[in-house]
Amino acid sequence: MVLAHGFGCDQSMWRLVAPAFEATHQVVLFDHAGAGGADPAAYDDERHSTLDGYADDVVGLLDELSLGPVVFVGHSVSATIALLAAARRPDLFDRLVLVGPSPRYVDDDGYRGGFSVEEIEELLATMDGNYLGWSATVAPMIMGTPDRPELGDELTASFCRTDPRVARRFARTTFLSDNRADLAAVRTPSLVVQCREDVIAPVEVGRYVHEHLAGSRFAVIDAVGHCPNLSAPDALVAAMREYLAP
Amino acid sequence: MSPARRARSWGSAPVALARLDPDGRVLDANETFLSWAGTAAERVAGRRLGDLLTVGGRIYWETHIGPMLALQGRVDEVAVELRTGADPLPVLLSAARRTGEDPGLDVAMFASRGRIRFERDLLAARTAAERSAERLRWVQEATAALARAAGVGGVTDALVQAVCANPAVASVELVAPGAAVPGGTAPGDDRTVVPVVGESRSHGLLVVTSHGRPGDEPLDLDALVTIARQGAIAFDRAALHEQSVSVAHELQHAMLTQRLPRRPDLEVAAEYRPAVSGLEVGGDWYDAFALDDATVAVAVGDVVGHGLHAATAMGQLRTATQALARPGLGPATLLSLVDDFVVRRDVGFAATLVYAELDTRTATLTYACAGHLPPLRVRADGGAEYLWSGRSGPLGVPSVRGPRTQGTVRLDPGDLVLLYTDGVVERRDRSLLEGLDRLAQVAGRGERDREGDLIEHVFDVEANQRDDACVLHLAWHGTAAARTEAPLRTPPPAGVEWSA
Repeated sequence: MVLAHGFGCDQSMWRLVAPAFEATHQVVLFDHAGAGGADPAAYDDERHSTLDGYADDVVGLLDELSLGPVVFVGHSVSATIALLAAARRPDLFDRLVLVGPSPRYVDDDGYRGGFSVEEIEELLATMDGNYLGWSATVAPMIMGTPDRPELGDELTASFCRTDPRVARRFARTTFLSDNRADLAAVRTPSLVVQCREDVIAPVEVGRYVHEHLAGSRFAVIDAVGHCPNLSAPDALVAAMREYLAP
Repeated sequence: MSPARRARSWGSAPVALARLDPDGRVLDANETFLSWAGTAAERVAGRRLGDLLTVGGRIYWETHIGPMLALQGRVDEVAVELRTGADPLPVLLSAARRTGEDPGLDVAMFASRGRIRFERDLLAARTAAERSAERLRWVQEATAALARAAGVGGVTDALVQAVCANPAVASVELVAPGAAVPGGTAPGDDRTVVPVVGESRSHGLLVVTSHGRPGDEPLDLDALVTIARQGAIAFDRAALHEQSVSVAHELQHAMLTQRLPRRPDLEVAAEYRPAVSGLEVGGDWYDAFALDDATVAVAVGDVVGHGLHAATAMGQLRTATQALARPGLGPATLLSLVDDFVVRRDVGFAATLVYAELDTRTATLTYACAGHLPPLRVRADGGAEYLWSGRSGPLGVPSVRGPRTQGTVRLDPGDLVLLYTDGVVERRDRSLLEGLDRLAQVAGRGERDREGDLIEHVFDVEANQRDDACVLHLAWHGTAAARTEAPLRTPPPAGVEWSA
């Protein structure tokens, strides 16, 4: 089982979900180029200015790992990346789990993605603004978390730290891409996991993905927000287990 | 402090405070919060905090702040904007996860118009500086490339490449004025069309196609327009130049020998190579003619300067040399006759000239250099040597060093003599001596180009592209008669050798 983080942070996002599958799967976690602990040299302006570049990275990773067809769990933009990779190399994928997917975030004629271009520009401005505030947030301010001992000392201040320039480019690439047409090319059986309230990937978008993705199932879980892997890990794990059960 | 007092303090604190449930919904908000949000308590209760921020903040909350709270337990000083009844209020937000009986989030925001404005001004200045630096770099590199470009073709290449250097650009085409633009003239999302307009006419349309990748920043249109304008100036300059250059080239071409002497015992080939197009024509020339049945004269010269003036001087000198040459005079005497011509007619002053006569009966080459580079003799076995005798100063230059001198050498069958101009051996990146060595090596090794042509090879390997260049190649095959013993001429009269 390979788990791919989405826009925002890094593989730590799976901290509460990955352990649940260690008994039944060989679990693989990775950071995308430009995120988390990935080698900064791996990020390339040209390659990573489209989601295809990230999909190429995934294909390369899976080829190198030689695990045979995997269960690929993609959150947020990594759901789209997974779809692109599966269309290109179906032999590498057994099943897909798409958590909070959206093939296009910007509204279009007859399509509600949820955002206007101006609003995406506003996101970029907010991200720029928090470059200055970033250093304060990322500085080691790890408070004791007595009720979450598993988080303990493993946490480093690198969580969510990204080169602001790279973060901005990733935001543009994520939020300004349109991959609706790529859904038709995917034959891999998939599960679309939708949070009942998600402003980033609203329910109608999840439904759109399900309707245009052959052989997909659609599950709404009782979670609010865009990151059920952190806010409602149990519900997400349950939905995944049910789907993956033989 | 009593609970009631604490509650009142919370309520009236000068920062906006809110308590949220684990889903991020507002359970309670203090007066400052409500006042800033411009709304009443009922309107806020039960709403998710993200809804109360602007869209950027909302997305940021979902993708960054929420996860950080889940994993780190708190965030500090995140810059977002609170929606109010009027303009959004910039705030710095801190939040912490609340555990225990009443789990959820505690949020504090303080208004930071002043500080935020300062930081945003800094950020804006930094971003503007970065954008400006990138723009400047793009425009400067384009300007430098255009300045180096020679000829209309060179300018077109430089302009297209300079625009293509921008990573967001996929392809660039310069469409000639009046020609159809591929794909029509209505610009699409990924195409930008920029006119390239000179002083008095259009040089075409620059059609720039972007990759259209989501991750790319939009194309800097101001920079693109500036580059197009630079291109137009370069085109105007090149077109003007080419006009004047072509006249001179035509003249020069008309004046150079078309027919070289043909004999069974020797072979003469020559070539003149003008400098890379766009630069002015130089004053190099060559000549070869029969003096009488047994003697062949060859010459290579180089007039000072460039352009039409040099070309006409060159023509006159060439004609004068041929007209003044006569069997029995010898190179030294000929040169002094040419000196007279130069002085009397005031043409070709300080030009250089190498003139040689080959007596085919004796296989003797007599030569003299008026300030010109020494001839190169290449033997059949590959040995090469420069002929340093017979040197004197450039034409028409008064001197106290005595009459012109000449040198003599006996050629063997299979020998080769090269006369050439400095465009062949002079290069900015190496000394003249190195250049002479190189020429000797190339000729000595008998290197030829694919067609077996030595001259072409010399040009391709050696020639300085910025200067015109000329090579004349005299191959002595020899006859049985010439191989009989004939006395060498006596050594030249003792005299001080002129330096080049």
